[in-house]
Amino acid sequence: MKKVAYYKGCLASLSAKELDISTQALAPKVGYELLELESVTCCGAGDIHEAEPDYYVHLNARILAYAEATGCDTLMTVCNVCTLNLRQANYQLQIDEELRERVNDNLEQVGVPRYQGTVDVKHFLWLIAGESFAELQAVAHKGLKGLKVAPFYGCQILRPSKLMGFDNPDKPESLERIIQACGGEAIDYPAKIKCCGFPIIQAREDTALAELIQPIEQAKEAGADAMVTPCPLCHLSLDAWQSKLKKQTGKDFQMPILHLSQLVGVAAGLTDAELKFKRHVVSVQPVIEKLSV
Amino acid sequence: MEAMHDVLVVGAGCAGMRAAIEAHDRGASVGVISKLHPTRSHSGAAEGGINAALGNTAEDSPEKHAFDTVKGSDYLGDQDAIEIFTREAPGDIYQLEHWGAVFSRNDDGRLAQRPFGAAGSPRTVYAADITGHVLIQVLYEQLQKRMAEGMTVHEEYFAFRLVIEDGRCTGVICWDLLNGGVKLVTGKSVILATGGAGRLYRATTNAYACTGDGMAMALRAGLPLKDMEFMQFHPTTMYPSGILITEGCRGEGGYLINKEGERFMQRYAPNALELASRDVVSRSETTEIEAGRGVNGSVYLDLRHLGPEKILTRLPGSRELAMTYAGVDPIYAPIPVRPGAHYHMGGVEVDNWGLSEVEGLYASGEVACVSVHGANRLGGNSLMETITFGRRSGQAAAEHALSASAGNGAGEAARADAERWVKSILDNTEGERPWAIRDELGQSMLENFGVFRRAEKMEAQLGIIEGLSERYERGVVVEDKGEVFNSDLTQAIELGYLLDLASCMLQAGSARTESRGAHSRPYDFPDRDDENFLKHSITRWVGDGPELSYREVRMTQWEPMERKY
Amino acid sequence: MAMQVGLKIWRYDARTGDRALKEYEISAPEEATLLDCLDIVKDQHDGSLAFRKSCRMMICGSCGMRMDGGAVLACKTRMYDIAQAGQVPVISAMGNLPIVKDLVVDMEPFWQKMRSVDPYLQPRYDQAQERENVVQQKTMDVIHKESLCINCGCCTSECNSLESDPDFLGPAALAKGMRFVGDPRDGATIERLEKYSEAHGLWDCTRCYFCNERCPKGVDPRDAIAKLGAEAMKNGIDRDMGAKHAKWFVTSAKTTGWLRETELVPKTQGLVASIKEVKFAMGLARKGKVPPPFPPHVAAEIGESRALFDLVKAQGRDGALGIVQGEKALGRIESHHEAAGGRDPYNEPDSAPRPFLPSEREGSEEAVSQ
Repeated sequence: MKKVAYYKGCLASLSAKELDISTQALAPKVGYELLELESVTCCGAGDIHEAEPDYYVHLNARILAYAEATGCDTLMTVCNVCTLNLRQANYQLQIDEELRERVNDNLEQVGVPRYQGTVDVKHFLWLIAGESFAELQAVAHKGLKGLKVAPFYGCQILRPSKLMGFDNPDKPESLERIIQACGGEAIDYPAKIKCCGFPIIQAREDTALAELIQPIEQAKEAGADAMVTPCPLCHLSLDAWQSKLKKQTGKDFQMPILHLSQLVGVAAGLTDAELKFKRHVVSVQPVIEKLSV
Repeated sequence: MEAMHDVLVVGAGCAGMRAAIEAHDRGASVGVISKLHPTRSHSGAAEGGINAALGNTAEDSPEKHAFDTVKGSDYLGDQDAIEIFTREAPGDIYQLEHWGAVFSRNDDGRLAQRPFGAAGSPRTVYAADITGHVLIQVLYEQLQKRMAEGMTVHEEYFAFRLVIEDGRCTGVICWDLLNGGVKLVTGKSVILATGGAGRLYRATTNAYACTGDGMAMALRAGLPLKDMEFMQFHPTTMYPSGILITEGCRGEGGYLINKEGERFMQRYAPNALELASRDVVSRSETTEIEAGRGVNGSVYLDLRHLGPEKILTRLPGSRELAMTYAGVDPIYAPIPVRPGAHYHMGGVEVDNWGLSEVEGLYASGEVACVSVHGANRLGGNSLMETITFGRRSGQAAAEHALSASAGNGAGEAARADAERWVKSILDNTEGERPWAIRDELGQSMLENFGVFRRAEKMEAQLGIIEGLSERYERGVVVEDKGEVFNSDLTQAIELGYLLDLASCMLQAGSARTESRGAHSRPYDFPDRDDENFLKHSITRWVGDGPELSYREVRMTQWEPMERKY
Repeated sequence: MAMQVGLKIWRYDARTGDRALKEYEISAPEEATLLDCLDIVKDQHDGSLAFRKSCRMMICGSCGMRMDGGAVLACKTRMYDIAQAGQVPVISAMGNLPIVKDLVVDMEPFWQKMRSVDPYLQPRYDQAQERENVVQQKTMDVIHKESLCINCGCCTSECNSLESDPDFLGPAALAKGMRFVGDPRDGATIERLEKYSEAHGLWDCTRCYFCNERCPKGVDPRDAIAKLGAEAMKNGIDRDMGAKHAKWFVTSAKTTGWLRETELVPKTQGLVASIKEVKFAMGLARKGKVPPPFPPHVAAEIGESRALFDLVKAQGRDGALGIVQGEKALGRIESHHEAAGGRDPYNEPDSAPRPFLPSEREGSEEAVSQ
């Protein structure tokens, strides 16, 4: 079992608890012992990066420092935004000695261990599509029985690619490989790498909904039974805001949205209690029925 | 008639925009005509810097700058123009900075100045290695401010003919590239700021747009062109395109080495080494390459010793260019470079205010020949010329326009005539596509009228140009018969310009039996001949070909001396 | 050396509305870029193919177009690897702008948005000094990246927010705005921030990072927009919902560590709007997606987070500076890795020789004929 530091982020702690629960249930099955970080905060998303950027660097430096304190070489994330934020801060601190010194002096002053730059931040997606692909294949024995799954990457797991770099940002493949390894059929459609609109879903709802409808509609038209996403913010948009799409356009997509850990979890035989599908706004029942046939 | 203005500026690079701004600020209504959107102009590709005797880095003076320029010109530059140029340059730089130009700074917060070729003192103001880009941006910013105040920009208008009535220039005829149609734009003054003609050569730093439009229009309208044989070959261009690697690389300490690793410039310019005058460096490189000490027809520009920090801070653009177009990262490997056609010292003959022989017709920037640069231009002086003489021509053009009357309406007939001509090109279905003529011209010019020239090759080239011109006159086929964005048509017209200009250059070059500046004849006339050739070549189009005469050089302080670096 | 290149190009005539995907097979030199290939097509196959070009060295910004759906500079795109892999890319006009013909778009909406941010210096002082304004390089570096923009339109082409809201100012215009907001010589900072904070301004950015990804010059417009947001909030220009949304993240991080999700709605949208959302919120609450705000979910050692906030505020790296401080490092990611890998420029298998002056070599006085 490989030990990895685990940063679940805000949504997995609260509104997207199902993501945390399914991840914690699945991880050991693909070879990971998760050491959950407690003395951490929100990574800041794009919001603190914009509103208080110096504070953003320090918050993420703190998360990284505590991850290093576990002795692991990998900090595992389950959210696109957390991954980008942590990796961006990590690069800044690793490369800029002057910045690192200043931030470390501040960390030390408030009682946080100094940041060393020894941890690499990786999304769970990258782990199971990469180093643990064999374990993934082995664990997905229940299989998805040809379920048609449309992968939705969203933005910040792919871009900026110089900070992320796991997938080809224009033609990513990691989700498709996982879907296939789990016995599903990956559905292709253009908007799978576009924005779900979540960052502006409150401040600019109309614009966000015009973005959001694209992946859902395209996936539906391409015949998908469900969609899968590695980001809980995208999940919230795609799942919880589908009703708003219906209200605005009259189109009732009824498209079930799965977290990555749930998709693999279903193929790996996780229990209902571990998958927590009942927490989804759009019912996942049609998927469950298809899989139990 | 499409539009009328007090002052028309043809070309929207640094010279054109600076002239337009000046004319507008002096109360003239201004129309800018450009075949490209202004920020696409080739001034933006300049990299290394812009010269002025600010004295921020070391002691300097306009007189020192003037002497360096005179010597750099191999004594062919007109010294009164050069004195004005170096005296007014500092004020022009400060004006740019006041407008917000994003220049690089010294430790004390003043404008930084780097060493450049053949400069006695570091006086090249710069912005990393994208100085031209920064200038284009600040000028376009100022242009947009004035667009809100009434200045008009006729964008993607391809000017192809001057309107000259009763000895005055009263307008320009254009092909509307975006929408189609031949349009007349009138002005009481017209300023040509159309740049150079590097596209004569297969290997050139110049953009596709640099086809000598203004020079060719002026030539066919009967105006004299000056010093046409002097084409500067920039020493550090990449193969095979000719894409520029700035002199700033050498200004920051880069070396030129041959295949042994030898810094060969010491043998040719023991004092200035890599920062000798451009013509000297290009000749040295060509000699090394011809002697078999090059690598695949190039020498090496070695920046490795500068270290990553300096390269990434001062020369990041050059690094990106080298990585993209030569496949090398200059932090780890030297860049293969060789001479490429870069800047045309010659152009439309004008006085120190940019006024040509024709009333109301001005020219500034690379299209003009004042002459500031004589037989060879110093790096950093061209950008400065565009600003200083752009301003001066803008001022003169505005003053003239505000006191002149409008034309007599002959423009409309000229427009109709031009329209018939364009139609004849479009209607032509027999002949070859222009590209073969274009490529043969570019390749042969490089072979026969490059860094080193000799009588036999120039003779041969005259014949080649004649043959190509004949093919062109017989008719080329423009496949695009449409109105919208017909660049097939404009490219065909541009080729005609290049052929005209090439014949002028070869005639003047053949006749100049000496070596001076960029006109180098090591095999037949290796020395400078001040007794017979301390004079400018003047070319006019008479009948169906160019005719050559000469004009004295205007000297004030400096007698020609031996030119060593 | 020549290579075979296949291209599929979307031809389009705005006047007739005719649209067709045409395929071309050409022979091109190995070093050819996409632009070189288009020139060959135009010269030798179809002279009516329309596209813009000029410098061919990534500085004029003329040749922006889409390759396989993503905007690139044609002159920056080498074709060798694509051709070797046997791929046939689809070339089309840039997005989010009306197409005039083939690969030529109408750039007027782009320029118009640029003009609307007042893209020229409004000097801080009435009287210009005789010499230059004295400004430290470090201060000018705040707008270094924004000053790199060549107006090519690649960012605009792929902007997801712009696609859904054509009135959005867009990444290029906003980056240009930051160029002035961050310029110490400009005196209209507050007016600019107010203007850019209005509807269709900086708070409309959806953070898709397509602009950063597609920009061929390293401008990183998304980060320029973030810098604008930082400066706006630093100056108290924070009435927009986007600003309020961001402020609540900061408050959460200081007080509970984790985001206080439920309160995010009223804090962002205000109480009245939140009441209108009650039905929607109930739908979410039924699924447990509206965690009760009490008791608050507090992360461990929250005092450290609070203390950090106070500490960094006292150190004054406020507003855009907090983002600028990371730019140097992020711009060095690749070269940092290379150097860290121990690359020595003089000691690789095929390294060019070390340079030396002829006078340094003993006894070698080569007579060279010039």
